[in-house]
Amino acid sequence: MTIAAINEQLLRAIGVGVALLDLQSLRLRFGNDTFRGWFGEIEVGSNLLEQFQDFDVEALRAALAAEGRYTTETTFRLRRRTMTVAMDFNRALDEEEPIAVLVCQNISRIKELESMIDSYSMMVERNTREIKREKEQVEKLLLNMMPRSVYEEYKTFGIVTPRLYDPVSVVCLDFVGFSEMVSAHEPAVIVSELNDIYTAFDRIGEQFGCARIRAVGDLYIGVAGLPDPTDDHAQAAANAAIRFMRYLNQRNGSHPIQWRCRVGIAAGAVVGSVVGVQKYIYDVFGPAVITASQLRYKAEPMTISGNRAVVERLGDAFTAAEAGSITLSDGSEEAVFRIAAEMRAAQER
Amino acid sequence: MEKSLFDKYGGFSVVSKIVLDLYDRLLDDDDVGPFFDEIDMARIVDHQTKFVSSLMGGPASYTDDQIRKMHAHLEIHQLHFDKLQSLLRATLADHGVAPEDQDAILAAFEARRNLVTE
Repeated sequence: MTIAAINEQLLRAIGVGVALLDLQSLRLRFGNDTFRGWFGEIEVGSNLLEQFQDFDVEALRAALAAEGRYTTETTFRLRRRTMTVAMDFNRALDEEEPIAVLVCQNISRIKELESMIDSYSMMVERNTREIKREKEQVEKLLLNMMPRSVYEEYKTFGIVTPRLYDPVSVVCLDFVGFSEMVSAHEPAVIVSELNDIYTAFDRIGEQFGCARIRAVGDLYIGVAGLPDPTDDHAQAAANAAIRFMRYLNQRNGSHPIQWRCRVGIAAGAVVGSVVGVQKYIYDVFGPAVITASQLRYKAEPMTISGNRAVVERLGDAFTAAEAGSITLSDGSEEAVFRIAAEMRAAQER
Repeated sequence: MEKSLFDKYGGFSVVSKIVLDLYDRLLDDDDVGPFFDEIDMARIVDHQTKFVSSLMGGPASYTDDQIRKMHAHLEIHQLHFDKLQSLLRATLADHGVAPEDQDAILAAFEARRNLVTE
């Protein structure tokens, strides 16, 4: 076998499509087996490029005349498979005759892979968005349970170091005759009413900087001055407490079930921490919480009782009248004051 | 959390080979191939990627309703479903998926039979 014959056999059998075209007419002079396998219907002597849709013959001629090279892609169907072939034209001479050598590489698999990567990345991106949304929901839920700075600490370290906040003002509120109300009405009605009221309280608390820490049954506890210390925590707590009662008064005017609360406010120290491991909750403990709770028992329905530490910080927007005393757990006596909004100040506002 | 089969068999880098192999076999098959005669390559590949990913617990999932709607315009008979089932099993086996995992994947496939066949 001659070298030329071996060359021709090799050329016929390789997995790359090879064709020779007349440079002037662009008619097919030769196509190897692979080329014929893809473009079988093209006869020797026919105009090859008419077979390809949207083929830019002018661009090919111009490029071959200038750089001697032209590269493009074509897509067609072979049985039901979409084939994409990269076409590389090079100017050459065949025994003095100008020809174009066309080398075709099957890049269908690359195109299929590209499509698959597109498809997969879209799936992954969608999942990532969903995970992000879920994470935000969990975060929102946790931020309802604890201050942001505590949440950040919990997220970073997995634990929260108990922290002393001193001084803050604690608002402790419950409802007069709650047990009787529960037995007199359907539980669902009571829950729905409490949901209404606590939602309103939360909104008021947010407005005045007195965040709810706990709501268990009819006991509602909010704290002003935590986690970021403020000078006006007593005013914030008193303002919120007064709005709580105004809201209830208004609500009682248009609802059959009458809700009357009593409120205790105490200024002092608390410790804030996350409690529990599996079922964790953020809570505050300390003398101010206990005192506020005791002061609440001392308050008449729809009034606010405060300790001296609160009253001293209230300023002239509120009035405070002495109203007896309570005995603290250490046996000492603590004076009780009845706190109300200063009428003049309230009118000016 | 238990690892999905998608992760167990090496995630996308391995599943992509299964997908392309299945794609080849589907198109070459004269029973199920004709369903893809007029369909754009990118759409078939997208469909196969999601199909295999969802069966193996990867990042795709279809509700029954979506599956039903997607196939509603096709006349898929039991024969076609059986054929795809055997092509899928052969493809999984050739890519080293253990028989019990093939069973799990094929069971997930079988569970959808009534959603797509006539």
